[in-house]
Amino acid sequence: MTATLSATSAPAPTRPRRTWVGALIGVALVVLTVASLFIGVSDVSPATVLEGGADGTAAFLLAASRIPRTVAVLLVGASLGIAGLILQMLVRNKFVEPGTTGVTEFATLGMLFAIVLWPGMAMMGKMGIAALFGLFGTWVFMRVIRAVPVRQLVLVPLVGIMLGGIVGAVTTFFAYRLDLLQSLSQWAQGSFATIMAGRYEYVWVAGVMVVVAWIAADRFSVIGLGEDFATNLGLDYRRVIGIGMVVVAVITAAVLVTAGMIPFLGLVVPNIVSLIIGDNVRRSIPWVAGLGALFVIACDILARVIRFPYEIPLSVIVGVIGAALFLWLLLRKGSRAH
Amino acid sequence: MSTTRPLIAASLALVTAVALTGCANGSDEAAADAPAADEAGTVTFSWDRNTAGEDEEPAYEPTTVEVPKNPETIVVFDMASLDTIGALGGEVAGAPLDSVPDYLQGHLADDAFNAGTLFEADLVAIEAQQPDLIVIGGRSAGLFEDLNEIAPTVDLSIAGSFQETLERNTTFLGEVLGAEDEAAEALAQLEDGIAEARAITAEAGTGLGLMVSGGRLNAMAPSEGDATGRNARGGLIYDVFGVEPAVEDVKGATHGEPVSFEFLLEHDPDFLWVVDRDAATSAEGAQAAATVLDNDIVKQTTAFQNDQIVYLDPTAWYIVFGGIQTTQIMIDDVLQIAD
Repeated sequence: MTATLSATSAPAPTRPRRTWVGALIGVALVVLTVASLFIGVSDVSPATVLEGGADGTAAFLLAASRIPRTVAVLLVGASLGIAGLILQMLVRNKFVEPGTTGVTEFATLGMLFAIVLWPGMAMMGKMGIAALFGLFGTWVFMRVIRAVPVRQLVLVPLVGIMLGGIVGAVTTFFAYRLDLLQSLSQWAQGSFATIMAGRYEYVWVAGVMVVVAWIAADRFSVIGLGEDFATNLGLDYRRVIGIGMVVVAVITAAVLVTAGMIPFLGLVVPNIVSLIIGDNVRRSIPWVAGLGALFVIACDILARVIRFPYEIPLSVIVGVIGAALFLWLLLRKGSRAH
Repeated sequence: MSTTRPLIAASLALVTAVALTGCANGSDEAAADAPAADEAGTVTFSWDRNTAGEDEEPAYEPTTVEVPKNPETIVVFDMASLDTIGALGGEVAGAPLDSVPDYLQGHLADDAFNAGTLFEADLVAIEAQQPDLIVIGGRSAGLFEDLNEIAPTVDLSIAGSFQETLERNTTFLGEVLGAEDEAAEALAQLEDGIAEARAITAEAGTGLGLMVSGGRLNAMAPSEGDATGRNARGGLIYDVFGVEPAVEDVKGATHGEPVSFEFLLEHDPDFLWVVDRDAATSAEGAQAAATVLDNDIVKQTTAFQNDQIVYLDPTAWYIVFGGIQTTQIMIDDVLQIAD
């Protein structure tokens, strides 16, 4: 394990264009992260923080509201991108992500299940149940995909979307019956508006999963080559698949509990990264994490600014931009005869 | 042939119309002569019925329905009307039982039947009961055509302001139930109550209506005169009870505008009027509003520090919002701040 880890510190892609894009993403990420700390309803700026001192309102809001929100946004963006990347390796299809495989819908059903059956349960427990449902969802999806004979590129996510539709309908039915429909739509709607210290810490679990993914990265690369190939290389295929499923399910649940549903991200980000640097998972991970974080933080800043001082649900913005990027990828892919 | 048909139809319609008008006049006189008598009379009710679908531009069609006086079997889909009918001494034979709030259960007959949900009617069950009157409103307004074939159906949805609707519906139901005096008395009492509440809120500084649901916050908007539909619920605290909005330009959306905790601190209203949406729908598991608002940022707000976060009865303010008893609950909620 230490050997594989040290391999990452070896200089990554050397082609000048990649370095350029990488640097650009890095700089943009730093700029937007700092901007995110100082954008909000209240007047928090470096000047007011210094002026107010450690006990001032600005410093308080920075610690209680701005930093937690920014951290949550970065972690959610990075981990959702990774979840998409891992899932794409597991299924060997470029068009899957938790939202197009029914995983998100299963996790939502799990969340509803927990809310109804154990109302008093701590958030961590509810997240665990959501993750278990998500895991089951991943398993169901992979079984279904195996059973479908034709492995057409676009058929796979289509099956996933249908599966998600069915599970979503079940969730909606119960939520409707139990008069929970509006509560459900409120918390499932992606938004960081009410993130603050004490209300976002679960998302660190997703951060841990990113580290797990990083450690196991090479194995996912090999998995992406197919079961026979992986087994021939002496890899425990099932175990690696299992780890991947857990990573995806836990990230999905943690993000759902913290910020709600954020569509397209897990699909679009890894695809853009693979256009830039190719399909090596180990090399992709920092790129996917960085670009995912950049994407979400840009969208979240927009969500705060567009109707200031009110907020727009983040899922709306991510949905619009993500859908456009998705279309662009589809059309582009078509021209490349994949 | 093709030219005579419309003519016949037109003349038939004319004859019917004349006959109907005659009927209505007659019954009005009868009612005036012997208001207490239990004889068969009718009350007419007219409203502009929206014939367009939910997401379409509204298209209004004037509709008039004649309703028998002292109906024996009443089916009600509108919770505010259920409230008023019960408060005026009537009894409801059928309703969407799952949606009747606890405090209105007493208005149902002991053997009340389930008439469906707030959105859908169980037409077979209703037909079997042969009701004399069906009352719809709000979410069930779209059921008019189906239900009016079974029995005279009136739509008592909000039209105009909250108070105008309250007055119109209470007066109408009072007439139907032969309880005109009780209706007038209840209306006068509610008007006094609202005036008293307004006098108190006028002194109370600014306020913000806040809906808390699924851990998210939504700022409520004054409805700016348009109390129908979208803004109805959120705006009541400003429109009916005269609370001065802490933020003037909250734009109305069905469930208000999403806001952050920082927003509460920055605009710092003197009073926070909280509708706990999850409590309204008995989502016990969902974080109750009090838990959501129990955090370091909210603790710095004026409303928290002066103990001026007021929890409004979510069922009354969010689900029923109308009717005699419910309006009294709303008045009492606002009067809390006087103590």
